[in-house]
Amino acid sequence: MTNTLLSTTEISAIPKQSGEPIIEIHNLEKSFGKNHVLNKFNLIIQKGENVVVLGKSGCGKSVLIKCIVGLLNYDAGSLKVFGKEIAELPQQELDEMRARIGFVFQNSALYDSMTVRENLEFALRRHRKQKSKEAVDQLVKETLTNVGLLDAINTMPAELSGGMRKRVGLARALVLYPEIMLYDEPTTGLDPITAKEISSLMLQMQKKYNTSSIIISHDMHCAQLLANRMTIMIDGINYAEGTYEELQKLDDPKTHPFFE
Amino acid sequence: MNKRNDIPGRDKIADTDRLKIPSGVMNFFTEAGDTSRFAGRFFRQLFFPPYEIKETIRQCYEIGYRSLPLVGLTAFIIGLVITLQSRPTLVEFGAEAWLPAMVGISLIREICPVVIALICAGKIGSSIGAELGSMKVTEQIDAMEVSGTNPFKYIVVSRIVSTTLMVPILIIIGDAISLYGSYLAVKIKGEVSFSLFFHQVFENVVFSDVIPAFIKSFFFGFAIGLIGCYKGYNSKKGTEGVGRSANSAVVISSLLVFIIDLIAVQITEFLGYL
Repeated sequence: MTNTLLSTTEISAIPKQSGEPIIEIHNLEKSFGKNHVLNKFNLIIQKGENVVVLGKSGCGKSVLIKCIVGLLNYDAGSLKVFGKEIAELPQQELDEMRARIGFVFQNSALYDSMTVRENLEFALRRHRKQKSKEAVDQLVKETLTNVGLLDAINTMPAELSGGMRKRVGLARALVLYPEIMLYDEPTTGLDPITAKEISSLMLQMQKKYNTSSIIISHDMHCAQLLANRMTIMIDGINYAEGTYEELQKLDDPKTHPFFE
Repeated sequence: MNKRNDIPGRDKIADTDRLKIPSGVMNFFTEAGDTSRFAGRFFRQLFFPPYEIKETIRQCYEIGYRSLPLVGLTAFIIGLVITLQSRPTLVEFGAEAWLPAMVGISLIREICPVVIALICAGKIGSSIGAELGSMKVTEQIDAMEVSGTNPFKYIVVSRIVSTTLMVPILIIIGDAISLYGSYLAVKIKGEVSFSLFFHQVFENVVFSDVIPAFIKSFFFGFAIGLIGCYKGYNSKKGTEGVGRSANSAVVISSLLVFIIDLIAVQITEFLGYL
């Protein structure tokens, strides 16, 4: 890809990379009253690809990934995940599709009345009913071992540090072996060292679980480490798209501040 | 040129005399409609699996067992105070022997169900409103939804079922404790045995005193759970929203207790049980 700014139509016409597209977003629009958050947004995620979405606070990045999992309804455009239009899915199919997507919240959103074990078991018991109690326990322990938190299995979320909460949030998203991971500012609110640890852990987990992902982040270290491709969202459109190096070299007053 | 505009002062009439529904009235009907839809969603999901039995039992423990000390103490004091205050008047008319029956009927029929329901509206309603509001604000409900589970079933159905079952039980226990308080009050002032007191109470308390009170207590429990869950589940963002949810859950469910009680009295009278 060349190091040039792309128009919305040009972005939608980006040649497909190897692999099948698992998320296809075309001309997506979402408004809250008079505030047009997404304004004909386009993005295609190929299988195995990690895309970082950059943008100023409040520009609609979180709205985008909430539309992808059906937490928010979009006003116009098309949003297909695994080839199915999200807005047309009945509730049961939407729930089945959500089980194939892991979502890591900005503030982890751990269930604070449950232990770490129960947090991981919550979705597992409801989606993998055929699994025995021992198999569920084994899967929970294996996932917690992967994020390095097996010792905290019986701890309440209130007793965990910020970094540990992020790890548990990641483990909870991974326990169902999702095909897509959506990260909403995964390193926000962490000190630089812990933020780097979490970014490295995300990379390890992406390789181990073979996931595709959309990462909403302001953390350039995280973006540089994880992104196969980046898109910069300005005024509800993907203003620029390319690899980290390509975007860094762009001489544009709107994109340059992200790399300073 | 449009003739409508030729009428002098036509534009002023249109601006000032147009029928405007006050925002307070609009909000009231919007809230009432949303609450009814919320209740409809509860009934639709109540009868279909998966059933969150473990969570419902846990909520029964939290809502029922943990409210018992407060309900018990309140009921005891009510029984004691009402008996002590009623006694002088009855003594004046030489009707002291009617004291157990009179206090027993008024406690079982009206005072205990309403006062305990109000206590539950304060304790349980605020707790559910604040807990669900906090879960909403910290995106825990969204997290359940994106994991492909049904948060409404896990959070709302279990709590409304628990309050509907536990409030009547708390009221029955409260009735018993308040009668014991009443017995102690009688015992302080005069000589009466435990068996004689309760014999006098139950000789005069009939089926039609107990059953309407018992039935309305289920509605009290349902209203407390429904309003607490509705307010918490629809909490607006921020800590202020959580406080507001808890507060309005208490205010509205307390008001509903009185409204349900008023309707229950009318129905009881209509059926000839008064």
